[in-house]
Amino acid sequence: MQFMIQHVETWLHRVNPALKLILFTLFFVAVIFIHNPNVLLYVTCGTMLMLFWSGHPWKRVLLYASPFILVFISTSTGMMFFGEGKITWLKYGLIHITQESFYRGLHLGLRALSLAAIGLLFGLTTRPVNLFYSLMQQLKLPPKYAYSFLAAMRMVPILIEEFQTLRHALKIRGTKRQGRFPNIYKTIKRYSIPLLAQSIRRAQRIAVAMEAKGFTNDSKRTYYYRIGYSLVDIWFSVYFVILFVLAYELGAWFPFVGITDVR
Amino acid sequence: MTNQSSRAGLKLTDILVTIVIAAVFGVVYKIWGPTYDLMKPFGFQAEQLIYGMWFIAGTFAFLIIRKPGIAILAEVAAATVSAFLGSEWGISTLVYGFIQGLGAEIIFMLFLYRSANLFTVSLAAAGAAAASLVLDFSYGYIESLSAWNYTLLIGFRLLGSIVIAGIVAYYLAKALELTGVTKSLRPASKDDYEAL
Repeated sequence: MQFMIQHVETWLHRVNPALKLILFTLFFVAVIFIHNPNVLLYVTCGTMLMLFWSGHPWKRVLLYASPFILVFISTSTGMMFFGEGKITWLKYGLIHITQESFYRGLHLGLRALSLAAIGLLFGLTTRPVNLFYSLMQQLKLPPKYAYSFLAAMRMVPILIEEFQTLRHALKIRGTKRQGRFPNIYKTIKRYSIPLLAQSIRRAQRIAVAMEAKGFTNDSKRTYYYRIGYSLVDIWFSVYFVILFVLAYELGAWFPFVGITDVR
Repeated sequence: MTNQSSRAGLKLTDILVTIVIAAVFGVVYKIWGPTYDLMKPFGFQAEQLIYGMWFIAGTFAFLIIRKPGIAILAEVAAATVSAFLGSEWGISTLVYGFIQGLGAEIIFMLFLYRSANLFTVSLAAAGAAAASLVLDFSYGYIESLSAWNYTLLIGFRLLGSIVIAGIVAYYLAKALELTGVTKSLRPASKDDYEAL
């Protein structure tokens, strides 16, 4: 988990987490409405640029970004090979690459890439604790939800450890995976039932403790961390407005491909 | 009794247990990502058969805690956990999680949260699949795939989600009931009173 790793704090870390979440969700909606691959390319570049301010060493950023290549390829190829279009480039059996489908595939790949980059940026620059405190204070999320989320987050490392223990225990008892389809269910069951049962028991104990300590009373509670807005939030919002305006202008004036709408 | 507790909203225990169940599946979702991506380049929409795994948190959590809002909460929580573990799809994970949870939730709501049999759960899984397809139409331009490919995609996704998020979830929940951990989560039922 990223938040446990040492890194430098940059201005992106100081942006209000709730605002960041809202802006990034709006980013998702905005990207869906972009049908011009030229504009989208500039948007993607502008988003990737922000990763320089993540405060993490570039080697680590590259490591986290490495699955993006797979996502890009897997998202774009489906549409490239099997999409509809008029100008045929290649036809081989069922594979039918046309000019339209090629650019549409590229567009989809860029879409996935920009959203993956923005997601990584969010993960690298947001501490979960701050996010949930901010959701409680700025967006009035009931504390019982926020604290449950935080408690569950803490259980994820325990969960992974238990999974390892389970794996070793099954191995030492000589449980072999018998491959083939019908046993997939057996494998899932073998791992998930003990993990779920243990987690539910643990969750119940923690819930009782949390109730006893008053985590549920919503009225007039005080917070250990006070999270508010600052000047950085304005800069952050302005960056996104400029990013989209600039991408539209650049996409119109300096296009890479002659297509303006991939639909 | 069930109605009273549900009218008062979810208790902290319900919420925490739901989120923890979701966390277990959130870890699974994260592992599922590369599996899905590796199946994708084959092109025959084979990956759609395993897409249903991403709907299992919602239906499974509802089978354990049969209250309004559980399905949607579980999907959002599972998406959040997998996003924090560094999901390759970034911010879209959260949006998709919410929509998928909503799809399952609507089906459970139509049955007034009373029914949790195999049929309802399969229908809820299909509901989640349908909701995800709605988002995919605007996100992935599905309609501009060639007709056979597009039919395969929808068919495989529905089939896969009914099998994984419907049938597998149902039998997993049954298996979990045998361990006895679910007993303390449900309010005393009519059968219990009759047994007394």
